Amino acid sequence: MKKTSKLLIAGAAVAALTLSGCAQAESDPIVIGSQAYYSNEIIAEVYAQVLEDAGYTVDRQFSLGQRDVYVPALLAGEVDLFPEYTGNLLQYFDPSASQTAADEVYSALEAALPAGLTALAMSPASDQDSYNVTAEFASANNLVSIADLAKISGVKLGGAPELAERPYGPNGLKSTYGVTVEFEATGDTTVEALVAGLVNMANVYSADPRIQQLGLVTLADPAGLFLASNVVPIASDSVDQRARDLISAVSKAMSAEELVALNVRSVDEQLSAAQIAREWLLSKGLIS
Amino acid sequence: MFSASNIFDWFADPENWMGRYGLWNLISEHLVLSLGSIILAAGFALPIGILVGHLGKGQALVVGLSSVSRAIPTMGLLFALVMLLGINYRELAVTIALAAIAIPPILAGAYAGISAIEPATRISARAQGMKRAQLIWHVELPLAASSIIGGFRIAFIQVVSTVVLAPLVGLGGLGFGIIQGLALRDFAQVTASALVIVLLTISGDQLIGLAQNKTRVSIKQLTKRQVAKS
Repeated sequence: MKKTSKLLIAGAAVAALTLSGCAQAESDPIVIGSQAYYSNEIIAEVYAQVLEDAGYTVDRQFSLGQRDVYVPALLAGEVDLFPEYTGNLLQYFDPSASQTAADEVYSALEAALPAGLTALAMSPASDQDSYNVTAEFASANNLVSIADLAKISGVKLGGAPELAERPYGPNGLKSTYGVTVEFEATGDTTVEALVAGLVNMANVYSADPRIQQLGLVTLADPAGLFLASNVVPIASDSVDQRARDLISAVSKAMSAEELVALNVRSVDEQLSAAQIAREWLLSKGLIS
Repeated sequence: MFSASNIFDWFADPENWMGRYGLWNLISEHLVLSLGSIILAAGFALPIGILVGHLGKGQALVVGLSSVSRAIPTMGLLFALVMLLGINYRELAVTIALAAIAIPPILAGAYAGISAIEPATRISARAQGMKRAQLIWHVELPLAASSIIGGFRIAFIQVVSTVVLAPLVGLGGLGFGIIQGLALRDFAQVTASALVIVLLTISGDQLIGLAQNKTRVSIKQLTKRQVAKS
């Protein structure tokens, strides 16, 4: 009795090993990663569903945290496809890069990416730093662009503590636009501080739903103070050409407004990334 | 790439000491927030601890309050309070969130110090005609002082090392240098800020420890002192 059960277990183990070996050989799944950021996860889910629709096997490794964690995984071939942002990724690989315009940043990123990684087509949608004011403050002071701030004095700028030292922070405002601001580190409660009037201007990501929900006014940046950071899929060499073309097409199809709308659905309706991605892809006719 | 000399250079740069987010200002903000929450916690925990110790009833209250305060995640409580009270009252929110972690040690110190007094001491004090308030004030509190201060000592250590969360809701304190430094990958700034917090904690701990030893009295010493007074 004992002998038979041992044999059975051994047999099962051998079968399992052979089977898993077969599956591996048939089609290596494409491993898709994402940051621990809901908006990034929605984009990763969009990529995943497009590939699945085309018959690829996909392995979702979402919420991989910060660049310091997942870039090494991309380089090691543990992750094959990742939604990224041109400007921020460029700064990661080349901290001294000075380009700020979208196209220049993209070309610089293509050159800066290490061997084995490729930037697929850049999306018109971006998620980057931007300066925002309340609608009342904008109309009271006739503000459209950051340059208009030069007329008023005593502007308080709120943002994460690191904004104090960023090139687009208080020093950049002074050198690019001649605008003097007083910096106030408002941490994770920056938008709340802006609405409560503790600061007059706040650094908010451009795809943040609250800009729409609270009627904030994003000031134009004609002189290119901010680094453009468009959504861009980063692929490793193990992603084949057909999959690359599919992802590039979906990347180009997502507009800035659509990305914000997807984020709004996540925040307002509390839908899952998978459902938001699926409905958007269906509405665009990108999957069937 | 990163060595002890970087930290030294960081401390040597006068720019890191001055201004709104300079070390001097951050240290004072750190201490004000810490002391504010310890005072708030004491106002709540001391009377309860003393009373429960004195009456010998309601120990369940002490255990319950301590467990509840300990079980609440400070960061979650902090954000919930900011949202509840509004961003304009974030100082109060931080103070309450930190007071929650300072309550258990202060409560325990007061309760333990007073309930450890031998019944015979109390009985003889009453036999001499002491009123309840006199008994608490002249006998129990002096005997329990060292234990009460010990509670503050633990509360101080815990609060001073948790105030680093304050910059998350837009307040200062030494956590600023850590949170900003991590985002900028300025490890000299992170280490230097952490070192200042450690120094602050150790020196505060030693100071309160000194007071704790100074106030430690036996019944014999206390009696001598009281006799000399009268």
